Amino acid sequence: MSDTNTNAKTKTIDIGPFHPELEETVYFKLTANDDHIVTKVDMVNGFVHRGLESLVTQKNFLQNLILTERVCSLCSNTHPWAYAMAIETIAGVRVPMRAEALRVIAEETKRVASNLINLGLLTHLIKQHGLTREIMDAREIMQDVKEVIWGNRMDLSANTLTGVRYDLDSTKINFILNSFATLKPILTDLAARFDTDEVVLSRTRGAGVLPNDIARKLGVTGPVARGSGINNDVRVKAPYSHYTRHQPMVSKSLYDAGDVHARAMARWGDIKEALRIIEEIIDNLPPGRIHLEKRPHIPAGEATVRVEAPRGELIYYLQTDGGQKPVRIKWKVPTFTNWEALKTMTCGSRVEDVTMIVNSIDPCVSCTER
Amino acid sequence: MNRTEEINEYLENRLRDKNSKENKYSFSIGEDSYGNPQIKISLDDRKDITTVAHTIAHFNGRCVVATAYLNDEGHAIVYHFDIDGLLVNVYLQTTDKTTDSITPIVSSANWAEREIREMFGIDTVGHPNPERLFLDESIEEGVLNDFIPFSKAATGLSESDIQWQNISRGGRKR
Repeated sequence: MSDTNTNAKTKTIDIGPFHPELEETVYFKLTANDDHIVTKVDMVNGFVHRGLESLVTQKNFLQNLILTERVCSLCSNTHPWAYAMAIETIAGVRVPMRAEALRVIAEETKRVASNLINLGLLTHLIKQHGLTREIMDAREIMQDVKEVIWGNRMDLSANTLTGVRYDLDSTKINFILNSFATLKPILTDLAARFDTDEVVLSRTRGAGVLPNDIARKLGVTGPVARGSGINNDVRVKAPYSHYTRHQPMVSKSLYDAGDVHARAMARWGDIKEALRIIEEIIDNLPPGRIHLEKRPHIPAGEATVRVEAPRGELIYYLQTDGGQKPVRIKWKVPTFTNWEALKTMTCGSRVEDVTMIVNSIDPCVSCTER
Repeated sequence: MNRTEEINEYLENRLRDKNSKENKYSFSIGEDSYGNPQIKISLDDRKDITTVAHTIAHFNGRCVVATAYLNDEGHAIVYHFDIDGLLVNVYLQTTDKTTDSITPIVSSANWAEREIREMFGIDTVGHPNPERLFLDESIEEGVLNDFIPFSKAATGLSESDIQWQNISRGGRKR
């Protein structure tokens, strides 16, 4: 962060695109007054734009499973899942129940780990490094689950067309349940400390407020919406896959304050519900195949599908012409809409809170710019 | 009256031709694979997108995103709206690379329209902030219209039509 222009009234402050306190490659130009209060925010994006929407039309349907998993690391499971759902819709095939259940288990596992890293970063940015270490240690338990079940700590490769590429036996199920038994009391304690720790409260409460009416107007989703009292969770509003049977209790993630603290608590609520959903599904794991026997025929058609990524709503529009490659794929990630809310959150905030506020939308530039 | 019927009635009152008494759009209700309803609206006149936007705003909906793609008539744009979990896909066609911006009516369309402008060179008339979103200024607007993927160009004679089509449209389809 450096002052680039100073006059009697205001200062212009540049943050990014590559800044030690900014986790993502984006450039902010802030204008602040003598009291270090931000009065204007400009954002410049595009530092990691890869033209993926063009690239996917050059790959065949199977290759795109691999490509979409690499749009982003934290929601790497969500992209190929939504993509597969769009293809399955056009092909008119039903995914086996066991595969649907296994898809949700993979997704909710990623949700826990994704939200934990955001909360860990928040404590790092407010210099509560004891908490950071504890949160990251807790996240490590989920990382171990991923590594044991899927053989990888980030890209799970769980999804394939018409189902999944992994299965759970009793040994793996016991490993998951034992890991959760260790993890749950730790998370309960950490979440409670977010509600009691004086430093956490003094830094995060009242910071980066996104009022409910503006949040609705901007169309934010995910924990950002839930922190402003809005429930537009796709898993509840338009339930898909096994969420038709096992839904999160969104009331546990809804907060009215609209500040950094509310968004953090919404994430703790999401984490708790994710673990509950996984346990519920494991208790009622349907028998059967993990994918259909035959690869589906993909005729000409189009489909629009939505899923709830860790950061909120992810939509995929897919158009096919009967060939081996998609004609058009468009996707919109939660950060794409959540970015604009940063202007409301940061204007009127203190300059030293800006990176914390940016982190509070859990921005994913890799997803947004594609 | 359920919600989808309410939306259709609201639209009918605003998009019915006074002379012919016929709707200036088509309206259909489908379902996704899990039984969630989805509305499909196809507009006869692209300018009616602002009326649709007012309808979405009336029902407290939001713009999720918009998809643009090339077709024989020019560019198709699909606006994807959400009304409390109900997905509403609205199709329009533009032949002159312009469309009326709905961002002044539905703020959540802001980035979606900026991206359409940037990637396809479609002017979203009346957009409050028509600045570049992602691409460097050295890359011309409408870049997604331009290039023939090498993998497509290299597939042989049958694909050479694609190149000829591009050339015959004046080099660039934009």
